Amino acid sequence: MTPLLEVKNLTRVFGGLTAVGDLTFHVDSGEIVGLIGPNGAGKTTCFNLLAGALRPTSGSVFFKGKDVTGRKSHQMCKLGLTRTFQVVQPFPDITALENVMIGAFVRHGSTGAAEAKAREVLDVVGIGHKADVLGRDLTLMELKRLEIGKGLATEPDLLLLDEVAAGLTPVEIDDILALVRRLNSEGMTFLVVEHVMKVIMNLSHRIVVLNFGSQIAEGTPAEISKNPAVLDAYLGEEEYVA
Amino acid sequence: MRRYREFLIPVVVFGLAGFLPLFLKTYYVHIGILILIWAYLATSWNILGGYAGQHSLGHGLYMGIGAYASTYLALNFGLTPWVGMFVGMAFAAAAGWFVGYATFRYGLKGAYFALVTIALAEAAVYVVSNWKAMGGAAGLEVKYLGTNPFMMQFDGKLPYFYIILVMTLLAVLTAQWLNRRRFGYRLIAVRENEEAAEAMGVNTLGTKINANVLSAVMTAAGGTFFAQYFTYVGPRVVFGEMVSVQILLFAIIGGLGTVWGPLVGAVILVPVAEIARAELGTQFQGAHLLLYGGVLVFTMLFMPKGIVGLVKSVRSRIWKTPDDSVSAPAPEGGAS
Amino acid sequence: MTFSLSVILQAIASGLMIGGVFALISIGLTLIWGVMKIINFAHGEFLMIGLYLTYFLVTQFGMDPYLTILITTPALFFIGIGIFQVSIKPILKHPQMNQIMLTLGISLILQNLALVLFKADVLSVRTRYTGINYTVGGVVVTLTELIAFFGSIIATLALYYILKTTDIGRWIRAAAQNPTAAILQGVDVRFTYLLAFGMGSACLGIAASLLLPFYYTSPTVGLFLGLIAFVVVVLGGMGNFLGAFVGGLIIGLTESLGAAIMPGSLSRVLTFGIFVLFLLFRPQGILSKRQS
Ligand SMILES: Nc1ncnc2c1ncn2[C@@H]1O[C@H](COP(=O)(O)OP(=O)(O)O)[C@@H](O)[C@H]1O
Ligand SMILES: [Mg+2]
Repeated sequence: MTPLLEVKNLTRVFGGLTAVGDLTFHVDSGEIVGLIGPNGAGKTTCFNLLAGALRPTSGSVFFKGKDVTGRKSHQMCKLGLTRTFQVVQPFPDITALENVMIGAFVRHGSTGAAEAKAREVLDVVGIGHKADVLGRDLTLMELKRLEIGKGLATEPDLLLLDEVAAGLTPVEIDDILALVRRLNSEGMTFLVVEHVMKVIMNLSHRIVVLNFGSQIAEGTPAEISKNPAVLDAYLGEEEYVA
Repeated sequence: MRRYREFLIPVVVFGLAGFLPLFLKTYYVHIGILILIWAYLATSWNILGGYAGQHSLGHGLYMGIGAYASTYLALNFGLTPWVGMFVGMAFAAAAGWFVGYATFRYGLKGAYFALVTIALAEAAVYVVSNWKAMGGAAGLEVKYLGTNPFMMQFDGKLPYFYIILVMTLLAVLTAQWLNRRRFGYRLIAVRENEEAAEAMGVNTLGTKINANVLSAVMTAAGGTFFAQYFTYVGPRVVFGEMVSVQILLFAIIGGLGTVWGPLVGAVILVPVAEIARAELGTQFQGAHLLLYGGVLVFTMLFMPKGIVGLVKSVRSRIWKTPDDSVSAPAPEGGAS
Repeated sequence: MTFSLSVILQAIASGLMIGGVFALISIGLTLIWGVMKIINFAHGEFLMIGLYLTYFLVTQFGMDPYLTILITTPALFFIGIGIFQVSIKPILKHPQMNQIMLTLGISLILQNLALVLFKADVLSVRTRYTGINYTVGGVVVTLTELIAFFGSIIATLALYYILKTTDIGRWIRAAAQNPTAAILQGVDVRFTYLLAFGMGSACLGIAASLLLPFYYTSPTVGLFLGLIAFVVVVLGGMGNFLGAFVGGLIIGLTESLGAAIMPGSLSRVLTFGIFVLFLLFRPQGILSKRQS
């Protein structure tokens, strides 16, 4: 079976800095794959490359068996690959419902259908009661949920989550992890970037570890937590809680 | 019928407005026409500037294309302006597409987009001023034929009033339609956060270009009407900076990105400005523009969301009703 | 029309002269943009105020046009400061488009105030400098243009010196680069903005006094000169001091050469064409390196 997402020798250089270098990995349908690495390792850049927000310097991306290298963000979204942002990006002057509707319009042409879908998604991410609140008036926790909701509304096959746990309390983190697991059990595939190791170890079926833009390890959470190269990379990082 | 209910209010409001001229003196009908012209143009601008958040300061370009196309074709080929209007709209569509593609393709936003659009309209002034077939700096006069509906010419004011009334109604209905349709939501998504919109499947480049084209096409039709009503087109008169500024003035003062804002802005300001012009104009030329400037400064300082925005926020503060329509934004800057 | 060498040389000479003044006008605009990221659409109208002021000082009080610099410069400085205080300061944190609309409103007010007060007449002055020319190799240069050119260069250098060596200059540069860091270094950013706005406007006082002896004033004079300033600033790179100077000379040359070889006012199309091309392909200006 071809993997849902296949990344081959993906490279992106900024000036002299190789933010992502020669990265090769894949994500199978139904998996939750973790992408981890210290700050500045190139995780967000990798997401930008996969989602089409950045063009790779070299290398290629295959999605559902198709070469999609260099496609734009909106095209990737239509193909079924949607990303969320590390720094939440709400539409501030419209309501939470309308925020999510923008995503729902990818699969639904009519306003009624998009609105129905958006309400359903808001309930799934647990902010159904905030439907009529403006984006600018939501709390950080609600914005994080909204961010996931905006992604879900596009009904992706693969959802890329960038540091959804950052800035949340442990209870809130557990809430979001439960949500991701549930969606995964319903068939959605995830590629999850997380700085906090504990979160990723709990959630992922498989983990890819980046450092300085290159892959330094890949394996199950159990294997990764024993990998000396990984431990080395994270040494001195305060968030390191294996 | 439920799904057409949203269009009922505009139709009723404009239907009632249609009775007004029956009770008004000719001079007030003339003011009514002026109100509607600017309301129409501002509503057209608002689709790009208010909904999609791209502040064109050069809509005179499209206005001029519409005005010149129909006038030139009528003078030289006897083509009825009813058809000339559509020719102008087609040219404006091409121009709007080209301007949109050229600017948005290169990621121009905010102040930079504003500056390019000013420059293009200004360049058009000089191109037309030096174009003999277009009458050069002197412009073109619509040949006077007396009442001739086929050539969109009338001796009285009433027919003009009803033509621009219907045009403005159509523009308002278009805005109303956008308010609850996918394309309208996408315009707002682009305005609010382009990066997020793109990630959520919105073709931001295409959406902005389409908004520019739609806005340009509508503006051009206004240009044709303008030429027919004033029976004259000149480079500064239709392409000039003052036209571009006035077009957006009413939308901003009335309320950006709202259905009724441009109309409200024009209804409140145009009569005052016209009276100022009539009473003081001979002695103090420019009095009405002075007023516009003052009101624009006041709006930016004290009610940046315009009159409709202010009313909405006051209403929601008093009744605490959730705002069900798409609310007006503060204009977003984004260059650099 | 003949494109003889002398016509071209003449155009180059006149272009450079007026270009020096364009540069001085634009430096005021680029200073304000560079420091507080505000695009002042009323910039041309500030210049218009300076031109009318010079006109009245010369015609009503018989002042020497170049002596009026001593009045127009501080006058424009304080007018700039006044307008900044009442209208721009309150919306410094608002979206950029609101600021643009505000300054557009100010320009409408000033332009039409001039129309109401002074009528639409085009006014110019005759002074004892009028009519004095120098001919070098067939190229005629008027004394007034020459004074304007060198005066603009001196004013530009003086402003450059102030920005490079004085405390005020250090604050302005700090606030331009990073307002937050500037605050941490103890710079009063609001006050610095005020000064920069005043200085940017003061440039126009000097420019006005230098310009009027061979130019004119009218309520709409600022419309064109303001647009020219935008063209120059974009050409030089928004906020780039040296760029604005080079850009001023280039646009002066373009206008003048264009007028020499193209019929009517078509040269304006050339000027705005260059502007659009720069905005599209080189928004960072001629002198800056491209950021990725
Ligand atoms: N647009 C950009 N221009 C230049 N450098 C960038 C850009 N985006 C990211 N980088 C650099 O690439 C490296 C990887 O960044 P990023 O992908 O954000 O890391 P992570 O998400 O793993 O923390 C960092 O050194 C960052 O400074
Ligand atoms: Mg990151």
